[in-house]
Amino acid sequence: MNDLFAVHYSWLFPLCPLIGAILSGFLGAKWLKSQSHWPIWIGVGISAALSLCLLFHTIQLSNTTPDTISTTITWYHWIDIGHFSAAAGAFIDPLTAVMLTVVCCIGFLITIFSKGYMAGEEGYFRFFAYLGLFIFSMTLLVMGNNFILLYLGWEGVGVCSYLLIGYYYERPAAREAAKKAFLVNRVGDFGFGIGIMLIYLTFGTVSFFGAGAGTHTGVLELATSSTLNDFQQHALAWIPFLLMIGAFGKSAQFPLYVWLPDAMEGPTPVSALIHAATMVTAGIYMIARCSTLFVQSEAALLTIAAVGCFTALFAATIALRQFDLKKVFAYSTISQLGFMFAGVGLLAPVAGVFHLVTHAFFKALLFLSSGVVMHAMAGELDMRKMSGLKHVLPKTRWLMLVGCLALAGCPFFSGFFSKDEIVGAALSHPSLLGRIIGAVLLFSAFLTAYYTFRLYFRVFEGPLVTPHAAHHNDHDHSHAHNHEPLIMILPLFILMLGALLAGYLNFPKNYLGDFLGHSPSFQLGYQTARSATGIDVPAHAFGQPGEEHLDMTTMVISGAISILGILLASYYHLKNRPASDALVQKFAPIARLLEGKFWVDEVYERIIVDPLYAIGRAFTFIDRIVVDGLVAIISFIPQLFGWSLKLTIQRGYLQGYGAAMLFGVAIILLVIFL
Amino acid sequence: MSQLALQHYLAIGAIMFAIGLIGFLSRRNMIVMFLCTELMFQGVVINLVAFGAYHGNLAGQAFTIFVLVIAASEASLALGLVVLLFRQRNTLDAEAWRELRG
Repeated sequence: MNDLFAVHYSWLFPLCPLIGAILSGFLGAKWLKSQSHWPIWIGVGISAALSLCLLFHTIQLSNTTPDTISTTITWYHWIDIGHFSAAAGAFIDPLTAVMLTVVCCIGFLITIFSKGYMAGEEGYFRFFAYLGLFIFSMTLLVMGNNFILLYLGWEGVGVCSYLLIGYYYERPAAREAAKKAFLVNRVGDFGFGIGIMLIYLTFGTVSFFGAGAGTHTGVLELATSSTLNDFQQHALAWIPFLLMIGAFGKSAQFPLYVWLPDAMEGPTPVSALIHAATMVTAGIYMIARCSTLFVQSEAALLTIAAVGCFTALFAATIALRQFDLKKVFAYSTISQLGFMFAGVGLLAPVAGVFHLVTHAFFKALLFLSSGVVMHAMAGELDMRKMSGLKHVLPKTRWLMLVGCLALAGCPFFSGFFSKDEIVGAALSHPSLLGRIIGAVLLFSAFLTAYYTFRLYFRVFEGPLVTPHAAHHNDHDHSHAHNHEPLIMILPLFILMLGALLAGYLNFPKNYLGDFLGHSPSFQLGYQTARSATGIDVPAHAFGQPGEEHLDMTTMVISGAISILGILLASYYHLKNRPASDALVQKFAPIARLLEGKFWVDEVYERIIVDPLYAIGRAFTFIDRIVVDGLVAIISFIPQLFGWSLKLTIQRGYLQGYGAAMLFGVAIILLVIFL
Repeated sequence: MSQLALQHYLAIGAIMFAIGLIGFLSRRNMIVMFLCTELMFQGVVINLVAFGAYHGNLAGQAFTIFVLVIAASEASLALGLVVLLFRQRNTLDAEAWRELRG
């Protein structure tokens, strides 16, 4: 497949957005100004076109061959120190192609939306430069052919996330949120970094597949070898857990999820691109890519599944009592990421990646739609202050409805198929824990449907209520101001098509699964899973050829549960709104618990942040009194000497100095001549 | 009166140097102090010329030319400094600058 244009010129993927970012970053402030989006549009546009080209060619290839499709490309020798070497290069297989398409195409749509959304903002060029830098890092992350490059992209997207959350740096909340995101991610990256070091120690290389799949020179293949020594076997038990910590940080899983809700302080396109569609799914990508490492440890898999499942439920319950549109979607993102983790943890990486793709479409759609609402309502996002917006924003209402139906998992929308696959994999898992997880996920899906439509019915249906300021604005400008400019609605329509149709990527036949199955990561993962765990892993969960069966019972159950959630929401939040208030009154403590987000932030504040501050203050005290005191005493001696001179000899009379010189010379002469 | 001998010149030089030194140590006016240093210079220069004539070579005179050139350029600098200092304090009194001791 090396002769494909997009593979041959694979370095264009990261380079084009990077050049765009450099151009708009350095020329934007002075020359480009309100045209700063052009370099990014062109750069990301080229990457998006290339990614589609790559995707279609790879699909064609996968139809003609039953073998795995992959290639390793070395751009240049990057690091060469002693035995350690890491090349800057790409590993391209179906998984990479899918991830690149998601990142570049959704990224491109969001940069187009951003032109309308960010118009006239202070530091317009800065926003686009960061966006370009983000796409650059993200493409490196999903293309890199070794762990070092993956880590580079991983940190790069972290930096861009930090910069973009803190985009409105005049606002203290934005600054705090940016710092929090960066520091919480540090915790995860610490584990991830140690994991990579351990990988190098164990296998002597950091490359995924070395010189290429099948050559047994890369980590992912060496790990499946049957001739591992004791140290390597012990290390293999630890590596998945260390990598997992990194994934939990980046993908906002319990207990490291706390940064994601706060990250909503950033501009809405950023929330859509980084904190919903792409960056936060890096953890899923990493686990899917390294499935051969993970499937060997049943404990690691079950930990991932259990944490994912708990996060899915936990975040869904918090989302029930949030009032900020973006906060609701933030918690739902955490919850959906939990679903994906449960999927990859329960030996169904295809389902996890499938949900990643559909989620990228509908969650980007939902965030951008709430961006349109925010734009029209003069920055107001509190759903208690608005209602019946379908009269003001007729197009956005339909976009939002499709997004909500997909998120709620309503039958025939994209979220339904992917979520159903994860639930199905959980329910058919042989262990009891798997079935418990399946049941919890079903309940979380019910909550998801309920809170999604609580939001939709509150904001878009019912009598028209708009926040005071926006309402005034409306009357002043009457119809002069269009709340739904084409540049913002057009990308949303494309995303809406994705949210409608992405589900049919893997239904009724496992098209996406078969395609992903051509990835060496999935094929090797499948073989290793069968031999290592002894579980009869269904072939289609890894996209391998085998019997396919449609689990109609699960489909019916999860569909019914989602519709039940929607109906319940329509009762409480459309037909009989006072009833929901009465319900809250009745269960006041629970409602307060959920509104306080289980006080996790406060607990962290008490047990981690406060002690750290106390230690910091103690160190400051020691530094001020002991260290600075010693320095002061030592420096006091020459000072004292100086003072004594100043009081006796150095009086400032020029004549005095002259006389001193005279006497000095006289004494010297006397000494010489006498 | 016999012919002028070396010691006469040396005496003149020493007297000029001493007058300059005393003037420098006793006066506070910056211009006068500067003039006094010039006087000390010339005392030394007389010594140089006298020794040159005594030894019968031109080394002393050549040195004198150097000293005069350097003294002239230094004088232009020093007088400029004095003017600037005067503009700052409106006085020529050297004591006005006592705080420069630090």
